[in-house]
Amino acid sequence: MKLYRINAVIRRHTYEVLHNANHITYMVYWPVVNIVVWGFFTLYLRHGDRMQPGVISCLLGAVILWGLFNAFQRDMAVGFLEELWSRNLVSLFASPLSVSEYVTGLIIVTSVKALIGLIVESVIALLFYHYNIFPAMPKLIPFILNLTLFALTMGVVVTGLVFRFTTKLQAMAWSFAGILMPLSCVFYPLSSLPAFLRPMASILPTTQSFEGMRQAIGNGGFSASHFQWGLGLNVVYFIFAIMFFRWMFESARSHGLLVKME
Amino acid sequence: MLVTIERLTKTYGKFTAVDDVSFVVQEGEIAGLVGPNGAGKTTIIHTMLGLILPNAGTIRLFGKSLEEEREQILQRLNFTSPYMAFPVRLSVRENLTVFASIYNVRNPAAKISELLERFGIGRLRDKPISRLSSGETTRVGLCKAFLNDPELLLLDEPTAYLDFHAALQVRDILLELQRSRGTTILYTSHNMHEVQRMCNRIIFLSHGRVVATGTPIEVTRNVLKEERDAPALDEVFIRIAGRQPDEAVSN
Repeated sequence: MKLYRINAVIRRHTYEVLHNANHITYMVYWPVVNIVVWGFFTLYLRHGDRMQPGVISCLLGAVILWGLFNAFQRDMAVGFLEELWSRNLVSLFASPLSVSEYVTGLIIVTSVKALIGLIVESVIALLFYHYNIFPAMPKLIPFILNLTLFALTMGVVVTGLVFRFTTKLQAMAWSFAGILMPLSCVFYPLSSLPAFLRPMASILPTTQSFEGMRQAIGNGGFSASHFQWGLGLNVVYFIFAIMFFRWMFESARSHGLLVKME
Repeated sequence: MLVTIERLTKTYGKFTAVDDVSFVVQEGEIAGLVGPNGAGKTTIIHTMLGLILPNAGTIRLFGKSLEEEREQILQRLNFTSPYMAFPVRLSVRENLTVFASIYNVRNPAAKISELLERFGIGRLRDKPISRLSSGETTRVGLCKAFLNDPELLLLDEPTAYLDFHAALQVRDILLELQRSRGTTILYTSHNMHEVQRMCNRIIFLSHGRVVATGTPIEVTRNVLKEERDAPALDEVFIRIAGRQPDEAVSN
């Protein structure tokens, strides 16, 4: 991998962000709408002590972290779709740029964008709803890392699918995270799921992260087991995702799809 | 040999796009890869760039295997086609800056300015690609193709979207660059006058197979089976385009 080629990919997507208002919408607008709506809901829950403060904190924390996961997975896939929509793939992959360099550049840009969304949501939660996620951040960072790694894995899988099946599957870029949401226990604990769904839910790094987050925000301290489980699962899924991506990419080359993608 | 293609075959299901094609391109020459629509020209170019995996055969560029040394090979060549595109919201300069970074071009700003002026689109440097005509975008593609001073240039119908005057101008630039730098060019085109003017040697394809190779006059004589004093590639093209797949083999 060459740094100057990774830098070229970063530059390409930075220019796109600067010229395309959709990116501002994705990066700032939706996170703001999300936290404002959920913030009002928590204000309603606070009135008349309808809900314990710990539950409200967990709710807002979940909104912020799910926003980060969703944004990362979506922006990875949309970043790649932009090459496809602009028919830029031929020029890129007819150059010395490798797929791993391209994906690395895209991950860096996506991380920055997701981080901006995370900060915007956290600041709005602090200013308007007096919910301060920052003191809990040191305990949350390991779970944020796990969420980011799983979002990256999902982004790689969706990108691989788009390589192979082109724009027929582009809707997955926006919807893939949603498929995982019911089982990821974002707003409720794993124990609240029906018993037959719990084994499936517990093998998702998202579930492990949100369980860990609830413990951290609810002053239960850092849950090493949720972090370690999440990380272990992430490593396994990431290896499979890379193998899957290579398979899809080679299959796309074999079917001549890189030059016909529309 | 700068390019050695041996027994290249590419099939899509039952359709054979490239059928047992072999040819070489020598250093410093302009070779024309010509033939009717569906002859396999673009598939060969894309296979040479590693964008398509062949079913059989080998590709060696600069004496190296494409599968084993893709990065080093692609650093030394470049490609353009009017059918490829650029991100439309980015300006001409931004698009070329991205590719200059990919090819690690020294002093990219100066290089980009020089190429934009050479291809007559200096005034468009800050315009987004979406505001350009197809002819102007073609010229941006040519600027991209020369960014890394390639030793081998793969040009897929580079003048297809250009008007007569612009096409003439681009041909002159290509010939001048080839003379001054010794760039090897593999050129595909439907315009036989252009091919006749540009190419030292021709590889004529039909239905995925090589049906004739040689200088324009040699190809003319071999295909038309007549003694001619001057190349007549238009006639050769019409003769070959009218052939059935099995006739193409018999030549």
